[in-house]
Amino acid sequence: MRAHRTLMLSLIATIALAAPASAVARPLIIGGSTSVLPLAQKLATAYHRAFPKIPSPKVGGGQSDVGISGAASGRFDIGDSSRDPIRGVDPTGLVFTKIARDGVCVITNPQNPLSNLSAENVEGIFTGRIRDWSQVPGARVSGPIDLFDRDGASGTQDAFQHIFLGETLKISPSATAETSNGLEQNAISSDKQAIGFVSFAYTSGVNAVGYQGIPCTLRNAKSGQYGGVRNFWMVTKGVPKGEAAKFLAWVTKPGNQTVRSIVNSQWIAIH
Amino acid sequence: MATGAPNQARRSSPAVTDRRAELTLGALAVSVLVLVGLMLATVAIKAWPSFSANGLAWFGPGGDVVTQFRAMHAGVPLPGHSLLYFRAWPLIWGTLLVTVIAVVLALIASTLAAIFLTEFAPAPVRRVLEPVVRLLAGVPSVVYGLIGILAIAPWVNENLISNSRKQSVAYVVQLNGDNLMTAALILTVMILPIMVALSAQALSSVPASWREGSAALGVNRWRTIWRVSLRTARPAIAAAIVLATARALGEAIMLAMVSGGRPFAANPLDGITFLFEPVQPLGATIVQEFGGQTTGAVANTIYAIAAVLLVSAAFLSFAGWAVKQPLKRYGIGV
Repeated sequence: MRAHRTLMLSLIATIALAAPASAVARPLIIGGSTSVLPLAQKLATAYHRAFPKIPSPKVGGGQSDVGISGAASGRFDIGDSSRDPIRGVDPTGLVFTKIARDGVCVITNPQNPLSNLSAENVEGIFTGRIRDWSQVPGARVSGPIDLFDRDGASGTQDAFQHIFLGETLKISPSATAETSNGLEQNAISSDKQAIGFVSFAYTSGVNAVGYQGIPCTLRNAKSGQYGGVRNFWMVTKGVPKGEAAKFLAWVTKPGNQTVRSIVNSQWIAIH
Repeated sequence: MATGAPNQARRSSPAVTDRRAELTLGALAVSVLVLVGLMLATVAIKAWPSFSANGLAWFGPGGDVVTQFRAMHAGVPLPGHSLLYFRAWPLIWGTLLVTVIAVVLALIASTLAAIFLTEFAPAPVRRVLEPVVRLLAGVPSVVYGLIGILAIAPWVNENLISNSRKQSVAYVVQLNGDNLMTAALILTVMILPIMVALSAQALSSVPASWREGSAALGVNRWRTIWRVSLRTARPAIAAAIVLATARALGEAIMLAMVSGGRPFAANPLDGITFLFEPVQPLGATIVQEFGGQTTGAVANTIYAIAAVLLVSAAFLSFAGWAVKQPLKRYGIGV
């Protein structure tokens, strides 16, 4: 009997303690692309500052495919994707809202401060035709090229493929595939013969290589001179509803200076 | 019993309480079984399309795993094949290599360490070492992975792999710090503590009279250890091997961090270079690819990999039970 009473009391106490938490609105859960991650985090913080009564959205990483499948399965209220929708592959009934544009940079180790690669060189290196730094004009290291790719679920991989290699060429299958922008950045910053590609926000500590004579800088990406630019999307199951709709409306509101200044710090604002 | 004084009649009798507890516990136990059953069924159902599309060739070599996964991600089948086309041999071979190398290295090191702990270590040293071994056994694998990816792999790439070695296989595979050797060595360190703990326990439960008997016959200490202690503890050491193999086989996060990214069937004929070739074991492949579940084919293939891991784990569990049987003869329980 005593045990029962203790059990009941602790149950009641648990429920009583849990009740206030559930009375407040649940925070939005956002996740997916690691390219979108830093932007989504900054937006979530600023959103909470603008509307202190709304809890700050919880933002996590993954990959673009994780964001898209997570939005479809309900794991995320909003999924992040750094690749465009693919008809026939993505689950049906998803709505993609474009939030910004982003530069994709080819990167090398700081000990190999390559300033520029021609389109032909990029194709040669990433398809595996050029395998040694001695064949690359401007390279400061010698020896075999350590090629780094991203995994198939990555939006950055999809964007790199379409922008830099076109529809027919494929990245050499002998490349090492990393599962996030951060791991790609880490792999290249610790290997002086490495080359790979990341979202612009992950270029600190590595050397961003220019493409076709245009340096990979934010300014060149914004002006449209730098070609390696792709879209950032937030994905919802159906038309955004409730808290997700409120957040997305704030992010995409034309002329919202808070959002514009955050996006323009490392990305390209479009609203 | 149900009789007893009237003032106790209000309370439920001990027999009823017992039965109630029994039923509750029974229901909990059954629900665990049901959960396991449901899990196995889910994995089997989801994995079936991959196995049925590829047949037994699923386990064989053929083509490149990355290319096959890319095709599934894009939803465009490889020419002349179905979308589910998959050949897992590089992954299976990678799993076998990493597991066998790690278990063999750990077996040698753990047996020597256990002998030291039980036969030679002074009591104060033993008092310090035993908790340390237990602590090491509890370190989460992601910590080993982090050390591997941030410290060991870059060091191996920088210092152990020469450019000429990279060049020698440049047209087959690219070498860097994420390779068979790094993965196997870190895995060895990971499974070592549990093997040391089990072996030491078995060695210390060898009856002292047996060793004393051996000594009384004039056999020296090393020979006694070799012929009496180790021989008696052999089934326990075999059990430790099984347990360590299970841990090595199922290890995914650490291996995905230090060996993932390049499923390649490392070739022992390449000599020393073989050790620096990349591998991607089955568990690591699940970690590497699970993001692509949007397309059915990727999910089916990943579930098929999971099914293979589950079946191997079941086999190992059975093997673990089987090798412990001889121990019962000596009345040593592990």
